[in-house]
Amino acid sequence: MHQISKLAYYFVIVLIILSINFSLPRAMPGDALSYLTDPGADIPVRMTEEKREILLAYYGLDKPLSEQYITYMVGIIRGDLGWSIYYSAPVLEVILGRLKWTLILVGTSTAIYITLGILLGATSAWARGRKRDMGLLISIISISSFPSFFLGILLAIIFGIKLDIFPISGAQTAFATYSSPLEEIFDILHHLVLPAATLVLSHIGGTYFLMRNSMLGVLGEDYIMTARAKGLSERYILHKHALTNALLPIVTMTAMTVGFMIMGTIFVETVFAYPGIGNLLYNAVSYNDYPLLQGIFLFLTIAIVGANFIADMIYIRLDPRVNHE
Amino acid sequence: MIEGRKILGSIGLGILTIFVIVAVFAPYIAPHDPHQMYRPMEHPSSSHLLGTNDIGNDILSEIVYGTRVSLFIAFVVSVISMLVGTSLGLVAGYFDKVGFLIMRVVDVVLTIPRLPLIIVIASFIRPSIWNLIALFLIFGWTMPARIIRSEVLTLRRRYYIDATKMIGGSDFYILWRHILPNVIPLVVVQFIMEAIHVILAESGLCFLGLGDPVAMSWGMVFHYAFECPIIYVSDVWMWWMLPPGLCIVFTVLGLTFVGYALEETFNPKLKNPFGGMER
Repeated sequence: MHQISKLAYYFVIVLIILSINFSLPRAMPGDALSYLTDPGADIPVRMTEEKREILLAYYGLDKPLSEQYITYMVGIIRGDLGWSIYYSAPVLEVILGRLKWTLILVGTSTAIYITLGILLGATSAWARGRKRDMGLLISIISISSFPSFFLGILLAIIFGIKLDIFPISGAQTAFATYSSPLEEIFDILHHLVLPAATLVLSHIGGTYFLMRNSMLGVLGEDYIMTARAKGLSERYILHKHALTNALLPIVTMTAMTVGFMIMGTIFVETVFAYPGIGNLLYNAVSYNDYPLLQGIFLFLTIAIVGANFIADMIYIRLDPRVNHE
Repeated sequence: MIEGRKILGSIGLGILTIFVIVAVFAPYIAPHDPHQMYRPMEHPSSSHLLGTNDIGNDILSEIVYGTRVSLFIAFVVSVISMLVGTSLGLVAGYFDKVGFLIMRVVDVVLTIPRLPLIIVIASFIRPSIWNLIALFLIFGWTMPARIIRSEVLTLRRRYYIDATKMIGGSDFYILWRHILPNVIPLVVVQFIMEAIHVILAESGLCFLGLGDPVAMSWGMVFHYAFECPIIYVSDVWMWWMLPPGLCIVFTVLGLTFVGYALEETFNPKLKNPFGGMER
């Protein structure tokens, strides 16, 4: 029952996002052609009233809004996100062409930062109040205060330019020919290091704090004291009792954080000119490629909302108490 | 560990005080008029402590005036968000039917990813400080509204509320005199969280070129530095990119410290990111 109402809720959210996407360009002053005919435009186009009407009719913009809305929705369901002005190709095609790189970047970074966050959070909680805990805490608060683009640029300058050990732009060496697939994989990984490191560093705070909190809660439980009273070794208690129990909230949070990660790629891919969707969004903004921009917006938001939906579902499965809220 | 809290809180407050002073007294602190053009791309010297940028503006003066813009946006957005969010949270927690409606709106706004929507709207409208503020406000009120509401839900079950009702206290009186004072600490912490968010988000939008080109915030200074083609191959980044970036970092750090100290003071049991330090 709960799951069905959740499904309905997310359906409504997607409808709202689609409607925002539909109404944004239509809510702007003027009509679709005014950016062409505006005397302040880069190259103003002169158009007779007749010509205007023909063009508007061609794009179906003379029809009532309700009809335009239905056409738009049918188009979306068919996977038609419009035509990119800059790339002169269907928007969906342009996005899918970049998807691979974003998936590689988000995938590796998520795996690394969740693992690292859990380890550091557990270490911190285990050594609570002591020097190691305070050191970790202060460093992670400080790193989390950096905007991700600033962190990325600093890493690029230090490791890419001063030390010159990692490439700072692209996902592969341009015009490279590889003698073996292994060499290609190495090249891709080599390019991945700095963007992934930036994403990991700027997102690790969430997992770290959650794990530290969760672990501190678990360490205060009676069964930990029982385990100590039984004379079990500290290492055994840490691994068998504390860690496994403290991990529960992390599992449910992981899907949720993928959403933040996707947003983070917008900046990180821009800094490192990494050819993923985030960088594409930056290009769309710089070239005023509105159809592409809207397509990416739709794609990203639905991906993030989808991740949240999955997180919700996992949560219901793992913790039956949520049902009886 | 009480001491740690005080130290961090004071450091944070110190950092913020410095930035606020710089923002308020910018015309007296800045060595030059930020719009005045000198020789472009000059290295740091005694007359231009941080050199000049590609069109010859004194970078230090730009950053000093940028403090005004960055802090102003964060302050205005946070204040209005808290006013709206707190009022709606109070109403939503106290009156069930209206509360249900308000919370559904909050749910929807919180589920829609903030950043992509702000980016897409910002690229449609002409970027100006006021447009940016309006954009941040769409989302800013939701989190305080949700948190205040859940606090009100527990507060209104207290006996002293029943007692006030029995002696004829009106709903408005109860909300104003008995519930509002109890949620103020939460509002202050939310205010700081929102300010952190706006500082980071505004600099992010500027970085993507969606900032107000007329009002140079720290983010805009950074953006123009990033756009400069020689930024990587010379040392220019050290005086053009690093200072505005560090200003953002230190402001966020200062806010985080103060927020942490306040949160611990108001409610030691509260599960904050640093929770459990006093155990």
